[in-house]
Amino acid sequence: MDIQGMITRSRTLAMGIPSKMKAFFQNSVAGFLIESKNIGDSAIYIKYWALTWAAIFKLILKLLFKKGPVVLVRELMHYPWLFVFLRATGLMRRFTRGRKGHYLESTCLIVYYIALTVVQIMENIFYRPERVIIGEDLVTPEIPFAMGLHTWQLEDFGILLPFIYPEFAQKYIDASENEGINPDACSFVKNAAGMILKGHMPKGVAIISSNMPCDAGATIYSFVQREYNVPIYRLDVPYNFYNDRAEDLFTKDLKEMVKWLEQHTPGRMDWNRLREVCKARNRMMELELELWEMLRIKPAPLAAEAMYLSHMWFFYVVPGDKLSVSLFEKLVDLARKNLKSEAHAVEPERYRAVLWNPPFPHYPYIINDMERAYGITLIMDSMTYNRHKFIDTSTPDSMLKGLAHIMMQGPMVRHTRGPAENYLDDIFRIYKQFDLDMVWIANHVGCKSGQAMNGILREKCREMKIPLLILDYDLIDPRIVSHEGMVRQVDYFMENVMRAKRLEGRIQEG
Amino acid sequence: MDVKRDGIFKEMEGILASPQNHLLEKAVKAGRIPIGYTCSFVPEALLMADALVPVRVRAPGTAGTEIADNYLSNFICSYTRSLLESVVADRYDLIRGWVFVPSCAHMQRLIDNVHYLKKLEFSHVLDVPHKSTAMHVEWLTEEYAVLADKLSSHFGVDLSDEALAKAVGGWNEFVEVMKSIGELRKRPESPITGTEFHLLLMAAQVSPKDMILPYLLEAKEKLEERGGSGRKVRARLMLIGGELDDPEYIRVIESQNAVVVADRTCTGSIPGLTPIELNGGPLIKTLAEHSFKKTLCPRMMEDFDRRLQIILDTVREYRVDGVVIEVIKFCDLWGVDMVPMVKAIRSEGIPVLKLEREYRLSGEGQIRTRVQAFIESMGK
Repeated sequence: MDIQGMITRSRTLAMGIPSKMKAFFQNSVAGFLIESKNIGDSAIYIKYWALTWAAIFKLILKLLFKKGPVVLVRELMHYPWLFVFLRATGLMRRFTRGRKGHYLESTCLIVYYIALTVVQIMENIFYRPERVIIGEDLVTPEIPFAMGLHTWQLEDFGILLPFIYPEFAQKYIDASENEGINPDACSFVKNAAGMILKGHMPKGVAIISSNMPCDAGATIYSFVQREYNVPIYRLDVPYNFYNDRAEDLFTKDLKEMVKWLEQHTPGRMDWNRLREVCKARNRMMELELELWEMLRIKPAPLAAEAMYLSHMWFFYVVPGDKLSVSLFEKLVDLARKNLKSEAHAVEPERYRAVLWNPPFPHYPYIINDMERAYGITLIMDSMTYNRHKFIDTSTPDSMLKGLAHIMMQGPMVRHTRGPAENYLDDIFRIYKQFDLDMVWIANHVGCKSGQAMNGILREKCREMKIPLLILDYDLIDPRIVSHEGMVRQVDYFMENVMRAKRLEGRIQEG
Repeated sequence: MDVKRDGIFKEMEGILASPQNHLLEKAVKAGRIPIGYTCSFVPEALLMADALVPVRVRAPGTAGTEIADNYLSNFICSYTRSLLESVVADRYDLIRGWVFVPSCAHMQRLIDNVHYLKKLEFSHVLDVPHKSTAMHVEWLTEEYAVLADKLSSHFGVDLSDEALAKAVGGWNEFVEVMKSIGELRKRPESPITGTEFHLLLMAAQVSPKDMILPYLLEAKEKLEERGGSGRKVRARLMLIGGELDDPEYIRVIESQNAVVVADRTCTGSIPGLTPIELNGGPLIKTLAEHSFKKTLCPRMMEDFDRRLQIILDTVREYRVDGVVIEVIKFCDLWGVDMVPMVKAIRSEGIPVLKLEREYRLSGEGQIRTRVQAFIESMGK
C-alpha cells in the first residue's frame, strides 16, 4: 500500500470513529441507563449484564487455571469465534431497546441463560472431548444426553453467533463456496461447512444426522463425514409421517441409532436417565404451553425473544436440562406477573404477527425495531410452534416413540416434507389460535422448499384476506439483503397494505 | 459427430422433440394407459404390466417458465419449473396417471403445485426412503404394493404376479438390448457416440418398450457392423449428473472431438440398465431391492462410497480419460454432494470438470469452451 493509500485508509478509519463510539456507547450499560431513566429497569439490566459477563469470565478463567495458559491460547486459536461472545451484552442491549419491566427482564434472562448453556457446551468440548459427538440440529439430543454423551450440534453456532455479530458467517460462507459448494445453497449449511474447512469446529467421535430439514442440510453430512473421517449414523424421516407405519419405522431407526452409538462411542444407554430427561422436557413443554395460553391474551404479556429464542435454543440445544426448565419457569412467572399487573410487552400493541421460517439471525432486533416503529408484536413463529404430545415415560419403547414423534413432526421437518397442507395448515391455525393480524414469511433465499410455497400461500392469504409480508433476506448472510433493505420491505408493507403510520421516526441501527 | 447418418437416430430425435410422441399416440389408440413418472425410483417394470406404459416425463421445447416461476420461484431447478409449466399448458394430455417421488425439495414442491393447479385423473406419491437397510427395503416394498393396488383398482389393470413377471421379462429384454449397445462403448473406438446412445435410451424411456424395441434391435445390428467413428477422438469422457433428458447437451460436449462413453445420470445407463434378477422371492420386493441397486442418487444417505466406487469402476472399465459432472442450477443434492465427490475422484488421479447448467440447453458456447479447456488440461 502506498503512502496515499495509507492516508486515505487512516482518514476513513478516523471518520468512522465517532459513529463507532456512538454505537459503542449506545450499546453499553451507560447507554441503557441514559435511555431508560428508570431505576428498576436499570437494576434489572445491570444484574443480567453482570451475570452474563461473569459466565464468560468463568469459562475463560476456569480453562486458564485448569489447563494452563498454553491450552487457553490454543483453544482460543482453535475456536476464534469464542471472541464473538465478548459482545454478548451488546446483543442484550439491542434486544432490550425500549423494553421495560418484566418484558425487559425476560429478554435479559434469555441472553444470560444462553450464555450459561454456551459455557456448559464449551466445557464439554474442553474437558470431555472423548464423549462429544457431532449431531444435526434437528436430531434432538435427549438420547445422547441419556447415554452420557455431549452433542455438538453442527449448525447451532452458525445461527447463534450472527445474532451477536451479523457479519460472523461471511468468511465461512465464502470458504465453502470457494471449496465448490453451490452458492445458492442455504447459507446455514455453507457456514457449517466453512467452519469445518477452516478447522474451527470440534471433531467429535461420531456423527448422528438425518435427512432433515432440506436437501443441502442432509447432503452436507457426506462432506462432513469425509472431512472428519468418523463413523456416521443417519436417521430417515419418511415423507408422509402422520401415520403409525411411519412412526414405527422411525422408532426402529432410533433404536438402531442407540445400538450404533453404543458400538461407536463410550456412551451407554441409561433408560432411567432418559426418563429424567424426557420428564424435564415434558415439564418445559407444559410451561411453554402455559406461556402460549398467556400470549393468546390481547395485549400479550410477553413476546418476541421470550417466545421464539427460548424455544429455538433451549428446546433444540439443551432440552430436558435443568437450566432449560428453570428458564421456562422464570418466563412463565414473568408473564403471570405482567398479566396480573395488566402490563403489556409492547406498548401499544397494535398488530400481532406470526413469523414463518427461522427468524433473522443477523438482524434479530428488527423485531424490537418494529415494536417501536409500528407496535408490531411477535406472538409466534414456525420454529416455536412445535406442537406434539407429551412423551410417555413409562417404558423405553414409549420414550423412543415419543422422541421419534418429536423429531418427525418438529417444525421445519413438518413444514419441509409431506403435502403442502403440512405447511399451510399450521400458518392458518396459528393465525386463528393467537388472534393475529398479519403473517410474516422470513423468505430466506436459500430455502427452496419455502420459496416454492409462496405462490400458493399468497393466493390462499388473498382468499382469506390475511395480510402477508414475504420478507426477502438471507438467513445468516447480510450481504444478500441489507438491514436497510429489510426495514424498507416492512415499511412498504405497513404503509401500503396495513395503512399504518410509524409511531417513531426511522430506526437508527446501532 | 453426425447423428443424422442413420435414419434410426433421426427417428429418435423426432420421438424426443415433444413431451409425447407418435408411438405413445398409437399405444393410447390401442387402449393402453400411459403413466408419467419423474424419478428413477419409480419401478418402470411395474408400470409396464398389462396395459400400462411408463413415460419418463420431460419438458422439451419449453420456451419459458413464467407461470411456474410465479408459483415455484426462480430459485427452484429449471427441470421442475419446466415440468410445472408444461403441466399447466396441458402438454401431457395423453398421460392418464402420474407417479411422483418426492426425491428432493424441488420435486416435493412440484407435487404440491401440480396438485394445487391441476386436477389429475390419477396421482400417487411414492415415499422412497433415503436408506436401503432391510427395514427400508420392506418399506419400499409396501410402497410399491400400495401403488400396484391403486393402479389396479383405478385403471382395472392386471397387476397379479403373473402379469408382473411378464412385465419384468419385457423390461429385462429391453435392458439386455440397450446394455449390449452400451457395451460397444467399451471398444477402443466406440462405434456409437454418447449423443446417439442417449437418443436411443431417452426415446425408450418415453415410449412403450415393446414398440421401441424393434428400433433398438435394428440400431444394435447396424452399430455392430459399424467400425469406429472414423475420426480422431481426443478424449473419452464419462458424464455424471442428475436429470439429463436432452441428447443435444451431450452433442455440445462431444463437438469438441470428445466422445461420451459412459453415463451415470438419472436417465443414463450406469447402473440404470441393470437387469432385474428374479430370486424366487416376492416380485414386488425384488423390484424394491432392484430400485435401490440401480439408482445412484445423492439423496441416498450412507451410499456415498458405493456411488464413488461405481464411478471409479466405470472409469476403468470404459477407459475414461476424464469425468464431466453436470448439475442443474439450484440443485442442492448434486451441488453439495459433488464437493466431496469431485475431491474423491480427483484424488484417484482422474480429471474432473463440473458444469452447472439449466434444464433447457443454453450457453452452448460456454460449454464448448469449458470442455475444450478441460480436454486441453488433460494434455489431449
